[in-house]
Amino acid sequence: MPLFDSNFLKQLEYLSLVSRRVFRGSLLAQRRTMQFGSGIEFAEYREYSAGDDLRYLDWNIYARHGELLLKRFQEEEDLHVYFLLDCSRSMGFAGGKKFDLARQLTAALAYIALADLDRISVIAFGDRIVDSFPLTRGKARILPLLDFLENLEPQGSDTDLAQSVGEFVRRKQRMGLAVVVSDLFAPRGYQPGIDLLRHRRYEPHLIQLHDPSEAEPDFLGDIELYDVENNSSRKVTVTENNLRMYRRLFAEHQHGVSRYCRDYGLGCTQASTKIGFEDLVLRMMRVAGALT
Amino acid sequence: MSFATPFALAWAALTVPIVVFYILKIRLRQAPVSTTIFWQQIFDEKPPRSLWQQLRHWLSLLVQLLWCILLVLALAEPYFNWEILQARRLILVIDNSASMNATDVSPTRLDAAKKAARRLVTSLRFRDEVAVITAGTQPQVVCGLTGHERTLLTAISSVTKSDGPTLVPDAIELAKRLLGEAKHGQVVVYSDGGFAGSERLAEDKLVQLEAIGTTAPNVGITNFQVRRSLLDPVGYEILVEIVNASAEATPCRLDLDLNGNPVDVFPLNLKPGEVWSQTLEKTSVEGGHLTAHLTPDDALAADNKAAAILPKRTTQKVQLFSPGNLFLQKALEANSLVELKAAKELPKQFTAGSIHVFHRHVPKQLPAGQVLVIDPIESCDYWQVAGPLENPIVTKQDIDSPLMRHVRLDNIILPQARKLTPQAGSHTLVSAVEGEPLYFSFEEPGRKVLVLTVNLDEGDLTFRTAFPIMVTNALGWFASQSGELRESLVAGAISEIELPSREKSAPPLSLRSPGGKERPLPRINSKVSVGPLDEVGIWTIAEHPRDAAAKDQPKEPILELACNLATKAESNLNVPESWQTTSVVPVAAASWFVRPIWFYLAACAWLVAIGEWFLYQRRWIS
Repeated sequence: MPLFDSNFLKQLEYLSLVSRRVFRGSLLAQRRTMQFGSGIEFAEYREYSAGDDLRYLDWNIYARHGELLLKRFQEEEDLHVYFLLDCSRSMGFAGGKKFDLARQLTAALAYIALADLDRISVIAFGDRIVDSFPLTRGKARILPLLDFLENLEPQGSDTDLAQSVGEFVRRKQRMGLAVVVSDLFAPRGYQPGIDLLRHRRYEPHLIQLHDPSEAEPDFLGDIELYDVENNSSRKVTVTENNLRMYRRLFAEHQHGVSRYCRDYGLGCTQASTKIGFEDLVLRMMRVAGALT
Repeated sequence: MSFATPFALAWAALTVPIVVFYILKIRLRQAPVSTTIFWQQIFDEKPPRSLWQQLRHWLSLLVQLLWCILLVLALAEPYFNWEILQARRLILVIDNSASMNATDVSPTRLDAAKKAARRLVTSLRFRDEVAVITAGTQPQVVCGLTGHERTLLTAISSVTKSDGPTLVPDAIELAKRLLGEAKHGQVVVYSDGGFAGSERLAEDKLVQLEAIGTTAPNVGITNFQVRRSLLDPVGYEILVEIVNASAEATPCRLDLDLNGNPVDVFPLNLKPGEVWSQTLEKTSVEGGHLTAHLTPDDALAADNKAAAILPKRTTQKVQLFSPGNLFLQKALEANSLVELKAAKELPKQFTAGSIHVFHRHVPKQLPAGQVLVIDPIESCDYWQVAGPLENPIVTKQDIDSPLMRHVRLDNIILPQARKLTPQAGSHTLVSAVEGEPLYFSFEEPGRKVLVLTVNLDEGDLTFRTAFPIMVTNALGWFASQSGELRESLVAGAISEIELPSREKSAPPLSLRSPGGKERPLPRINSKVSVGPLDEVGIWTIAEHPRDAAAKDQPKEPILELACNLATKAESNLNVPESWQTTSVVPVAAASWFVRPIWFYLAACAWLVAIGEWFLYQRRWIS
């Protein structure tokens, strides 16, 4: 069954409409005012965000309606959204549901950004960058993007976010929004990579996905743990006590990600594969709408 | 400790594969995980191979080895020598006499005794042995020494009630012989103590008493006999004795029936311990079952009824051929059962089915059937007549013969008695000084002949009561009646019964109880010993049916015997006081080790297996 079928495209269109009409394009709460544009052609109004240049505020509207609206010019719309999609083997765990959700989510967010006249790029990484979809613009580019995403497969060895981000930031490209879609199961940790994005003035937004069986493993007794990323194995005896400890460590990891994002003001979305991509996107919109 | 089956220890070899499988690496189930970063924290946090880590697998191995060793030891059936040395031998004596059928203890005393015996059997230790003996009617070993519980329980359940007397002392003697020289032997008696010497039994250290029953009031028939009158051919006399074995005055009623027809009724009010005895005279041509019945019913029903057999009287046709003797004729006519026809001359043909009485003249050949000859003057085929006896004094007589019952002719002179020489096969009933027969008999199949060589017109025999009694006895003998008394037997007694003569080709006989049980009798035509009878009521002796078809057509019994309890000791239901104070039978189960050691080993192995399973489920051991 194809990952992106006609039903999926209809859902994409729906999400795009919702994003524009309801949340006024502020899905990812990006600080667009950081992009200083020199265009003269008036494009549209957008709501004022803290930090925006007050020179572009339309005082007439404020005087008449009391609303703070910012004038946008043509160059200012061109936001760059980079999707760093984790393609390590851990994403292919449990039948690949995590990887499918990640790809669907990436496609949905990318479509919303394209519909919003932003430029998007998708960078697939594992232990390093394995493939990328070049920066592009326009809704018509959604189909090639879907093809690209559908042809991706989990590969590589241990997830190395820092290495992959390091390659990413060395590219000659404009800064923008960096949406990291991953399970963040990196042996060397996820913080170095995200810190690197922050230091290089990208706006990281983490979308962490996990499978319910990763949060609640159900095996007991004498087993051989097999790591799907690095093909290593270890013979252990799993007891009830061990399971309780695992669940605690997993929850702590989840809380750690959330706390890290909160500490640095980063966007964070955590979900399991039990939720469909559409519900996840809508949830993200609600959260974004509540914050702005 | 020793082992009953030491070769079972070879099963200990199973410990080798247990160790082998423990050492061998078992292929573990593979569990793929997306990352081991959490598992590494879990398993790397613990110090490598703590003492518990190192031991817990060994613990599992030891537990399994222990389980295997426990089972192997159980298979080897270990035992201690003291188990054999201290094994007990118990002989259970269960009194199933008549008094144990009393219902003062529900349902009966015997059931209570069997219940107590079963309770003791179920609490035995391993290697104890028990035997079961019954003590009613006749001591009998129901089950020999064994330790098999089910066999003993079945034997106890098979003990049936009887109406016989208590023979506990005999049973105890039998029990002691069974015990032999056993060190830890004991005789346990379950009885109500209704026998002589029961008081002394409490002092016997080898015997433990279990008193069954309470002090129950009882009124019972202790004697019931009937006999035909000596003088009145249709008369009979009843002897009945009733005892009130109670501590209170007891009203009751005695009903006497003959073949179900009321004969007499006596309302009684007996004082405590009173013995009421009565002799009654009644008349009846009919014979049959005379029964005595006490009402109301009390704790013991067996002594509320008694039976006796009243011999039936049948009319006898007698033909008298006599020149004329009034005494003889009257002696015959006096019997109301006799149809007498007198004639002076001998006929040419004799009537079959009649008793022929010849006075003086006899035919050369005696007719078939029953013949009474008095004072023959001619010889015939059975004797030769000679001259008169020189000393016709009666010196010897067969007092055991039914023909001589209640007749004493000692030193009586029979003047002008002729000397007769009987043919071979005669039986002398009365003889003279030199042994000359004065009164003799012949008995052959289908024929009976009596000869009395006495001149009725001389002497004083006809004036004595002996003469009509002799005539009556002769008529009774001709009618094959064993006498006017058919004695009622006492339950538990052994009696010698005279059987009527039968052909040698006749089918065998069997003794049938009131309850329908049959016992074959030996092929002896004259007398047979019956008993001990263990059931009150009417016993019958009849031909044993040859096949099943014959069983459906029961024949008339040849002989009937009445059996009654008639024992004062059995009617007295009071338990002796010495029994009530000492009758405490300690519980047989003396310790924890009621079961064999292998049972406990197997139980421990089972518990170890449960523990191993629990620890494995909880992942405390691998």
